[in-house]
Amino acid sequence: MTRGTLIYAAQRLVLITVTAVVVSSIVFVGVHQLPGTALIHERDTNPATTAALMHYYHLDLPWPQQYWLWLTGVVLHGDLGESLVNRGLQITPLLIRETQVSATLGIAAVLITVIVGMSLGTLAAIRQNTWVDYTASTAAVVGYSVPSFVWAFLLILLTVGGFYRWTGGLIYEDIGWGKLEQIPVPALALGLPYAAIVARLTRASMLEVIRQDYVRTAWAKGLRSRVVILRHALRNALIPVISILGPLVTGIITGSVVIEFLFGIPGLGKEFVTSILSRDYNVVIGVFTFYAALVGFANLVVDLLYPVLDPRIRY
Amino acid sequence: MTRSRVSRFLAVAVGAICLVTACGPSNGGGGSELAADQTLRFNMQDDVTSLDPADVDAAVDITFLSEVFSGLYKFDNELKIVPDAADGMPQVSSDGKTWTFKLNKNVKFSNGDKVTAADWIWSWTRTLRRNHAYASNLYIITGAQDVANGAATTVSGLSAPDDYTLVAKLDAPAGYWLSQLAMPTAAEVLDRKVIEAAGEDKWTEQAATYIGTGPFKMTARTPKQSMDFEPVKDWWGGSTGALTKVHVDIGVDPAAAVQKFESGGYEIVGMANQAPGPDDVLRYKNDPTKSKLLNVYPGARTTAVGFNFVSGPFASKPGAKPGDPTNGASNTNDPGLAGRRAFSLAIDRKQLADIACAHAITCQPATGGPITIGFKGYLGENGDPWAKFDVAQAKQLLEQWDPSGTKRKGLEYRYNTSPGNDKRAQNLQAQWKQNLGVDVKLVPSDFPTLQADRKKKIVIIGRQSWGIDYDHPQDWFDNLFSCDQAKVGRGNDEAYCNPDMDKITADANTKPIDQALPEYVQAMKLLVNDVVWMTIDYGTQPYLTQSYVKGAGYNGLYDFSWLGIKILKH
Amino acid sequence: MAAIPSTIEASEEQLLAAEVGEHVTLGQDAWRRLRRNHVAVIGLGIICLFIVVALVSIVWTPYPTWQQALGPTYQGPTLTHPLGLDDYGRDILSRVMGGAGIALAVGVGASLIASCIGIVLGLLAGFYRGKVDMVISTVINISYGIPDLLIALIMVLLIGRGIQNIILAISVTAWLGMARLVRGQTFSIREREFVEAARTIGTPNSMILLRHILPNALGPIVVQATYLVPAAIIFEAFLSLLGLGVPPPSPSWGRMASEGYKALQIAPHIVLAPCIALSMTVLAFNWLGDGLRDAIDPRMRR
Repeated sequence: MTRGTLIYAAQRLVLITVTAVVVSSIVFVGVHQLPGTALIHERDTNPATTAALMHYYHLDLPWPQQYWLWLTGVVLHGDLGESLVNRGLQITPLLIRETQVSATLGIAAVLITVIVGMSLGTLAAIRQNTWVDYTASTAAVVGYSVPSFVWAFLLILLTVGGFYRWTGGLIYEDIGWGKLEQIPVPALALGLPYAAIVARLTRASMLEVIRQDYVRTAWAKGLRSRVVILRHALRNALIPVISILGPLVTGIITGSVVIEFLFGIPGLGKEFVTSILSRDYNVVIGVFTFYAALVGFANLVVDLLYPVLDPRIRY
Repeated sequence: MTRSRVSRFLAVAVGAICLVTACGPSNGGGGSELAADQTLRFNMQDDVTSLDPADVDAAVDITFLSEVFSGLYKFDNELKIVPDAADGMPQVSSDGKTWTFKLNKNVKFSNGDKVTAADWIWSWTRTLRRNHAYASNLYIITGAQDVANGAATTVSGLSAPDDYTLVAKLDAPAGYWLSQLAMPTAAEVLDRKVIEAAGEDKWTEQAATYIGTGPFKMTARTPKQSMDFEPVKDWWGGSTGALTKVHVDIGVDPAAAVQKFESGGYEIVGMANQAPGPDDVLRYKNDPTKSKLLNVYPGARTTAVGFNFVSGPFASKPGAKPGDPTNGASNTNDPGLAGRRAFSLAIDRKQLADIACAHAITCQPATGGPITIGFKGYLGENGDPWAKFDVAQAKQLLEQWDPSGTKRKGLEYRYNTSPGNDKRAQNLQAQWKQNLGVDVKLVPSDFPTLQADRKKKIVIIGRQSWGIDYDHPQDWFDNLFSCDQAKVGRGNDEAYCNPDMDKITADANTKPIDQALPEYVQAMKLLVNDVVWMTIDYGTQPYLTQSYVKGAGYNGLYDFSWLGIKILKH
Repeated sequence: MAAIPSTIEASEEQLLAAEVGEHVTLGQDAWRRLRRNHVAVIGLGIICLFIVVALVSIVWTPYPTWQQALGPTYQGPTLTHPLGLDDYGRDILSRVMGGAGIALAVGVGASLIASCIGIVLGLLAGFYRGKVDMVISTVINISYGIPDLLIALIMVLLIGRGIQNIILAISVTAWLGMARLVRGQTFSIREREFVEAARTIGTPNSMILLRHILPNALGPIVVQATYLVPAAIIFEAFLSLLGLGVPPPSPSWGRMASEGYKALQIAPHIVLAPCIALSMTVLAFNWLGDGLRDAIDPRMRR
């Protein structure tokens, strides 16, 4: 870790914090302009009780004051407050738990993306202009054209309905979360479109290397040289992949909102949707802040990976 | 063949045969022996709002309260009111204003603490002090509202002559009060020691301090993820049934729940008001083996369209302040009446139930007034003259109401989004367009927004719905249709105020239900004639139950108690 | 094209051009190469079909897209209803056609708006540099840190649903990529000689931007804008899936897919039709975008 890298990392961390604060304040202001709160229920509630509840959540204060209270709470205690809908539920531990879930899913998806994508791309490059190449290339375009939720539909149909029926109930996939074997399917649905993009990139960059004359000669020489060439080409192919790793991770974090929703995974994305739909403002603001920070960190990690993979890059 | 080859061959053969004949967990239950694992598992889509009996207001939360806590009385599986923690039915004085309850001396909390009359007084006082939705169940007690308003700290009408006798003095005779007491919410008994030690707002967060007198106790809770319950050892009420554990997954939506059910992950889908989606219900109905697992019970929710009586083109007294009389003998000129009737006649409720409720499985067309089939106050099939489907008359009334064609423009139907509501709304829109030629724009929103606007009385046409709390028409009139509730901020969203009708219901409220019912029916007929609510359907509660699960069901208001559920060997 | 030579040099040039071959413009050259790319042509064909269907659906569909109970609900494909009926008894073919209209509006609308914003800001940032660039770049960088779906969800919450609002919500995040692209292009183009020349003769900046820089960046801009269309369509589908897309009874494909998904096991045709339409349209745009990119890429010139 060079000094330059540390400085760079520090600068980025500052940027992330600023972003998170800016984002959360925008959301805070926006959300408080909306009519109605989550404190409203079907039955007629006594106005005195509603007033007491509003006071408990500081909703009766002018919103700049509310914001200040919230901000000091976050910065000093890391306390994001309490849920408006599920009384007594503290937001910070909830979000931390859900972030772990989403992070696990996200990392699995990224792994699938990179591994599947690069393998497919390499295969297509080696067997250029054969049916393998054409199939793989078309598969790649289809892969990222078909939206991830359609893949999710197909996978759910296949793994839950299909496996169960075809094996007479011997194998089944519970969609949900908690067991190790429940991770691959949603990670696959999440990562497939991006794996397709990675495949195309890998193929293109590998072709650039392989097509060169000296490589062609060396290739013709046999297995040993081929392995060396592949390794060299793969290293080269890694660069464009790393360059899109940032947007890729952001894309996966975004895509996880829908995938978590469809698979019933108790992660950050699902929380965001449910809290918006139930007007649980405190949670909405908390989730948004977490998301901004999460994306920032993910991108920072990716950017810090660059010097590791390509020593020419230095901060 | 060698031995290993033979066994391998057999294994493959068996496997192949199994693939073809689908052996494995079958759907036919075997015998009547109990299974070794008596864990009941089911799902909830959203987490509970609150687990505190004094605060609760959602039907979903009530399911768990009824197992963890006890009231003086409860509704049994046939919806009859039977004693729970009380010993026998109450003694009511001849003027109907003094109620004496004898308490069961064996009742104790799950942590062993004994229960006395003082605990009941403390619990009810606490409920009134916190004054949430169902505190109104206790308002009829003398001095109760003073505590609710903060003017007093004790309820003057409650007293305990001895440790096991509770006496309540009421402001007026109230035939419906027993039903309110049987609701598993506000009137349940709580452990004062535990609550005061753990903290008023914190005692529900930990399983260790979540103490009640019911047959089950909570053993674990991860917010937004899961809840676990187990029976109480040495429960004062006797046996706690066959179940050894109840596990609830939170955050699982209905479609995912059904899939998990099909792979054996859940024993039941539908408990705690978490009905499977209409498409899944239809699939089960149409499949000969699956249909045995489907049970559809008449539910306790009515859905309707409410019309605004004080503003907009349907108003009966345009410009009136919410709370002013809008109907009654004095108001013979009702400019909105023809319009409301037209819109109601233009909807074929059979088609709506067919489309919105999976071929009328998850709901039934409503033709008998607001109160649901099977509950007191239902007017009988076709008891609502304006719920029939008559396009010709509807068109005629439409022209009568709006000869110039201006009133029917710019109408918006407001509702809160949910799969069932979306279907109903879209069908209403399509039918109004097809049968009346009127374009009604759909404006979905989330529930708090809709509710806020409804309470301000600014919603012109909007979705209305009510889930019955107990089997008594008072639940409807006093919460939804009285002049008192017509004021801004209260529950009569249509701002319908008919003083004549209120007189009838007020009188009926004082009498026991058998004498009161004809009066309630009379009042209901007035309501229906004015088309305050255009009732469209009565809900049903579909359940999917594994064939090896016995004793589960729904009595119209609540799930059958967990006490009676058992899991057979399968 | 033979024009009357105005100078001797020009006529000599023309003779030379006549010998060498036809003089082609960049656009013509790109078009020719595009034509040779079979996959891109197929994509273009599908898109044309899509546009035609969308336009036709505005005035006519076999049945009204909103009319329910045309037959038994969930009915499969029949002669009168080639794609079957959905769970409300509505004709799916008519709704798929209507969905094309909505997809076109959302896709093209969002792409146009996002492109306009992105182009303007990108040009300004790339040309003027300095403080202007710093401000715009900071905004872009911060916005990049926030997932676009979240911004769209919040916007939908704030400004409500409705097709214009959805287009707006999508455009709000989509301009970032375009702005970055245009900024980068502007950086490199402004260093070229003809820009120097224009500046020395005193051409106002706005003219430089419009006449010199923008046309030269047009190639990549068009490619990016083409890619934005399917991205916007998928975005709307995501929103519909979460229940926040174009409000009912609009037959947006995303909405149809999410409604049909629930009936997947009893009536798969309901979810299949919009999913196929959606996938094919996105695929077509991607093929076209790839083809355009290859056609315009100067490295491919041989």
